Amino acid sequence: MTANALVKQFYDVVNNPGNAPREWQKQQGGRVIGWLKTDVPEELIHAAGFLPYGIVGGKTKFSRVDAHLQSWACSLMRSCLGIALNDELNFLDGLIIPHTCDTTRMVSGIWRQIHLLPYMENFFLPRQVDRASSKMFMLAELMRLKESLEVYSGSAITEENLRNSIALYNENRGLMRLLFAMHEKTPGLISCRDLYTVVRASMMMPKETHSHLLEQLLQALRIQNNVYQGRDKVRVIISGPVWEPPELMDIIDSKGTVVGDDLLTGFRYIASDVNTEEEPLAALAERQLNRIPFACFDSTQNPRRQFLVNLVRQKQAKGVIFLHLKFCEPENYDYYDHKLALEKAGIPSTRIETEVGGVSVEQMRTRIEAFFEMLGGI
Amino acid sequence: MAPKQEFKTTAMFKQLMSQYYAQGVEARRKNIPVAWVTAVFPVEILYAAEVFPYYPENFGALAAARKIAHDLSELAEAKGYFYDLCGYARCGIGDAYAQEHPVGEIERPDIIFCCNTQCGSLPKWFEAASRFYNAPYFLLDAPLIEDAWEEQVKKYFIKQLEEMIDFLEQSTGKAFDYNRLVRVLDLSNEACRLWNEILDTAALKPAPFGFFDACFHMAPIVTWRGTEEAVTYYRALKEELDERIKKGIYAIPNERYKIYWDHIPVWPRLRWFADLFAEHGALVVVSQYTHSWAYNFDPSNPLESLADNYLKSFVNRSFDKRIDLKINFMKKYNVDGFVLFSNRSCKPNAFGLYDKSNVIKNVTGLPGVVFEADMSDLRFFSEEQVRSKIEVFVEQLKER
Ligand code: SF4
Ligand code: SF4
Repeated sequence: MTANALVKQFYDVVNNPGNAPREWQKQQGGRVIGWLKTDVPEELIHAAGFLPYGIVGGKTKFSRVDAHLQSWACSLMRSCLGIALNDELNFLDGLIIPHTCDTTRMVSGIWRQIHLLPYMENFFLPRQVDRASSKMFMLAELMRLKESLEVYSGSAITEENLRNSIALYNENRGLMRLLFAMHEKTPGLISCRDLYTVVRASMMMPKETHSHLLEQLLQALRIQNNVYQGRDKVRVIISGPVWEPPELMDIIDSKGTVVGDDLLTGFRYIASDVNTEEEPLAALAERQLNRIPFACFDSTQNPRRQFLVNLVRQKQAKGVIFLHLKFCEPENYDYYDHKLALEKAGIPSTRIETEVGGVSVEQMRTRIEAFFEMLGGI
Repeated sequence: MAPKQEFKTTAMFKQLMSQYYAQGVEARRKNIPVAWVTAVFPVEILYAAEVFPYYPENFGALAAARKIAHDLSELAEAKGYFYDLCGYARCGIGDAYAQEHPVGEIERPDIIFCCNTQCGSLPKWFEAASRFYNAPYFLLDAPLIEDAWEEQVKKYFIKQLEEMIDFLEQSTGKAFDYNRLVRVLDLSNEACRLWNEILDTAALKPAPFGFFDACFHMAPIVTWRGTEEAVTYYRALKEELDERIKKGIYAIPNERYKIYWDHIPVWPRLRWFADLFAEHGALVVVSQYTHSWAYNFDPSNPLESLADNYLKSFVNRSFDKRIDLKINFMKKYNVDGFVLFSNRSCKPNAFGLYDKSNVIKNVTGLPGVVFEADMSDLRFFSEEQVRSKIEVFVEQLKER
């Protein structure tokens, strides 16, 4: 198959959200456990014999959401609720909600009211990551989640199962990182939107199938490698929770290219593997504390500032575009510091206020294009 | 309406609060560290360590009550902090950049403590402040607590209290005195006991004291909790209330309805709301907010009981538990209806209120209303909309 035909398959998964899990249910007769962004240890869900399914929002009708969640909540959570209210998630048997911020913390209660599922869990991450107690709690929480999944599945998660799931996930992440590396070297090979669609699809379909498709895609791209150019595109870093709305990527594609990010639905999702040498739960805990910093679980020095500066330098990017969801408090509190750190390092940046689900990108287009022009792109 | 008779203790209140702010200045002179803390925080440990606790939220409430919140907010907004953030944070951050300080300058911290029982806004604000003021920062992390995982969360919290005491010993260079902690806990218990007795007088019909009075008189239970001063103050206030009950002086003339309120008041419109309800013979008598300070410590088991009390603050409980707590208050105070304030500043209290309101109506059969505004920023206050919502609600009260 050609690269194009393969890429299209990832788009099919993303554009028809329920299809892949429904198909899996039909074939395997198993149960699907959804998770809201982000950091939920899918390896555990998978090891329990369930299909993890990432609910990352999308186009929806917001009118029904208003009766449950105020219009000044982030559109990411509002669109997730909207999708649920629209019965588009009726293949779910369960849901795990990570407490990343006050919005998710409250959504966990609202969700039970409007869409009660047989299995509902919270996932608590330590908000401080600098002290010994955070590791202790992280491990205890993973243990709790494991037990809770075992109770629901009716059988124990064996160490062997967990090791197999970790290996499967590590492999999938590794493949996606290869794709990122290839794109960074030859940005014209595959568009940014295609690249990030591959990541997003991986949250919404069985990893086994995803890896299989992805291997074929990598192979196809290797063959086309020399044909494509794009090395002279203006290189930028993007930062924020999610790359929404997706059309935003097309705008970036038309002006330059992304060579690095810290997005929950981007490189941050695949950056950190789980150490296979260690006891699996301890390794999962360690991975969590080693992830790319994110507004909800920073250490107090805000290491993300330095992370961004380093990333720009390492990837020889020309600037940073912050994609910040309107009403997202955690990101907003850190923004001034990020901006300052970049300014000090002489790195231009811009902040685009984004929304998930059916918003016009025209305003964003003007801002993004102007930024690229400023960077000397076109 | 007859002008409201001032509480005698108001003079004492003013004196006590100015003494509190003077202490901040005094602390610097005496080389006592000034620590920022959050409202629902085991401040007893700080008082025991002889550190001066300063409450930036209190500063925010003060700025809001004096109707200058949006001026300060605009200074924060100019830096890239958006008006979607908690109003207290915007006031605090704005004041840090301000040239003029109409309600006094926010106290510069030497160390910063934060507990996220209340919300995720405070830790982000305080974290930013710790970088701005270059002050060491300690976050006491409180994951949401439910019976099923209570033990795990409690263990984590107690471990952090130990880490915090180590951190304090390092910052102050002094060994922590557990005996002093026991004394502070006793004082805290006493002040909380008095405060709750005072709040309970609102259950009498007619009542000498209501929620809006409590909003005024609560500053010492927040800031002075753990000291003699708080005990003395609330003892005096309690005596004055007993006296008022004897003399038949009530919060409003002709009290007909009792109302439950959730949660914070709209600070710049405190009086406006009180009058609006009073016009109809309605008195707001209870809110989870003013009842937050209902701690009961076991001084023989200090850390564990601090963990129990602070972790189980109502905002840190599950959706269902929070509904139960609200309904219990409604029953205890025998209210005729409830008003839920969807406070744009405060996501952990506002999100979920629509569904909660439905559940409460179903369970209690009481009329209720949810209204939208911001606790500090009048840019989000539509007087006409709020008034008409409250008036519809009052009509429902009358029809019952
Ligand atoms: S972290 Fe931000 S984007 Fe994510 S759920 Fe919370 S408010 Fe929404
Ligand atoms: S008002 Fe709400 S969001 Fe603001 S500091 Fe208080 S609890 Fe936190």
